[in-house]
Amino acid sequence: MKNFASTPLLRPSFILFALVASAAFGFQRPASSPSVANGTVTAKVVESANAFLATLSASEQTKCTFGFTSSQRTGWSNLPSGIFQRNGLRFGDMTARQRDAALRLVASALSREGYQKVTDIMNGDEVLKNRGGGRTGGRQGAPGPGGGVRFGLDEYYIALLGTPSASTPWMIQFGGHHLAINVTVVGANSVMTPSLPAAQPAKYTLNGQTIRPLGRENDKGFALIGALNAAQLKHAVLNYQVKDLVLGPGNDGKVIQPEGILASELDASQQAMLLDVAHEWVGILNDEAANAKMAEIKANLPRTYFAWSGATKNGGLAYYRIQGPTVVIEYAPQQGDLDHIHTIYRDPTNDYGAKLVKP
Amino acid sequence: MNLRRFIILFAVLSASPAGAHRLDEYLQATRLSVDLERVDLEIDLTPGIAIASKVLGWIDTNRDGEISSAEGEAYAREMLRSVVLKVDGWPVPIQLVGASFPEFRDMGLGVGTIRLRAIAKVPAAGSGRHQISFLNTHQSGESVYLVNALVPENPRVHLGEQRRDFAQHGLTLDYTVASDAPSDRGFELLAGLMFAGCWFLRQAHYVTRQRADVK
Repeated sequence: MKNFASTPLLRPSFILFALVASAAFGFQRPASSPSVANGTVTAKVVESANAFLATLSASEQTKCTFGFTSSQRTGWSNLPSGIFQRNGLRFGDMTARQRDAALRLVASALSREGYQKVTDIMNGDEVLKNRGGGRTGGRQGAPGPGGGVRFGLDEYYIALLGTPSASTPWMIQFGGHHLAINVTVVGANSVMTPSLPAAQPAKYTLNGQTIRPLGRENDKGFALIGALNAAQLKHAVLNYQVKDLVLGPGNDGKVIQPEGILASELDASQQAMLLDVAHEWVGILNDEAANAKMAEIKANLPRTYFAWSGATKNGGLAYYRIQGPTVVIEYAPQQGDLDHIHTIYRDPTNDYGAKLVKP
Repeated sequence: MNLRRFIILFAVLSASPAGAHRLDEYLQATRLSVDLERVDLEIDLTPGIAIASKVLGWIDTNRDGEISSAEGEAYAREMLRSVVLKVDGWPVPIQLVGASFPEFRDMGLGVGTIRLRAIAKVPAAGSGRHQISFLNTHQSGESVYLVNALVPENPRVHLGEQRRDFAQHGLTLDYTVASDAPSDRGFELLAGLMFAGCWFLRQAHYVTRQRADVK
């Protein structure tokens, strides 16, 4: 079976690079006050982007780059190749050196844990490919435009929107089946909304290790709902089923009326648990940007809701949503399948860095 | 622009696929936008792979493998006949304003989404409490439903409690309409100034009288 550990994409040297890079960026838990981005991360990301572009031919560069305000910005999906046609450079069409450089770029924009999550999702899709598909979500090779539905590591794409710069806005778009990472870089700041980390299978074994790409999202969610008392549960638990993401792909800019329990009705320990759940998404991005975002979410806690639908014991099917003024996170098992999870992370005020980009 | 032209234009503008590749469910996701004199409905319908041919059969009535504007419009209107919208207990007619249909092959793969857009013109809501109830029973045998209210753009409209049935066929939504804020604020400001003016005059008169008494 092909996996990242056995391909040049994730050679030990590259893992070491990612770990060292993350350590150099300083992995920290959310700060209580906003971090001031100092541009160190941006400089590294720009350097990695230029290093990646340098590995490409002129025609490959043309294929990989788009205008910052082009429609490519919203051209992402969780769907597999063969159903959704992504633009940019396909990993299966790159040389080992180019893939290495592309992954270094992705790693430079993310945290160590975030990059690990991304690779776990991608390796999961390779597992799905080798299984021929899952119980839900379609089969490998099923009819589709362009040669049928395709899963696996070769089917991830990278695109750059705008010119990598430490001052003017640009964007890294990386994704494939069950993964859409959109990082907008504006000066010293970076923003990772909207993004869609998902997983199928939700649990698999690789090189003797059990991998659950979104396991912490599941476990921390259940831990939080389990920590609520009866009165709090009455507010938090919705009395209806939610069988999919409400604000999935194609729903940019929409803000639904929040539901559930207000974080101000939680005690300090429960609030910390809620922030820890949110950090699973926010913390995919590099620590500098994630810390600033977590401080913003913390400051908005009195206006943040937590809603739950479904089983409250870990192992059951459950949907949950965290919604505050600057964050929407949804976790939704698909079609009653615990082995097929979709999630979405949005900021209704700052998707694609809208607050930072001057029109 | 007539509806048929709008349908085609809308199809070009919004032909993005669904987020999920479903199997045996017909996902019907509705979002409601509430304003003073209208309710906008966005209804996204995504048939799963296993039932796509059945859904296509409902729409492609001449079985030519394409969804014509007429077939699309007929299906959209039929779908909306399964939707009931009431404002303050009174049913309000729902008017189709746009529909887009995905490629046949996308629907066959369970990723094509039919997007319907409709509005319900409602009697101008006076200030105070109101209620909207929405019910969708379209093809309930094989469907799963989502229904949500969007945060109103009109600052005078404030949404309150939302109640749904377990399957989300229906949503009952309480909302309040604030009185016309700017004129009310103006009136309050004017009243406040008049009150302050009267108080000042009275105080001045009182001080003048006291000084006169001292002399």
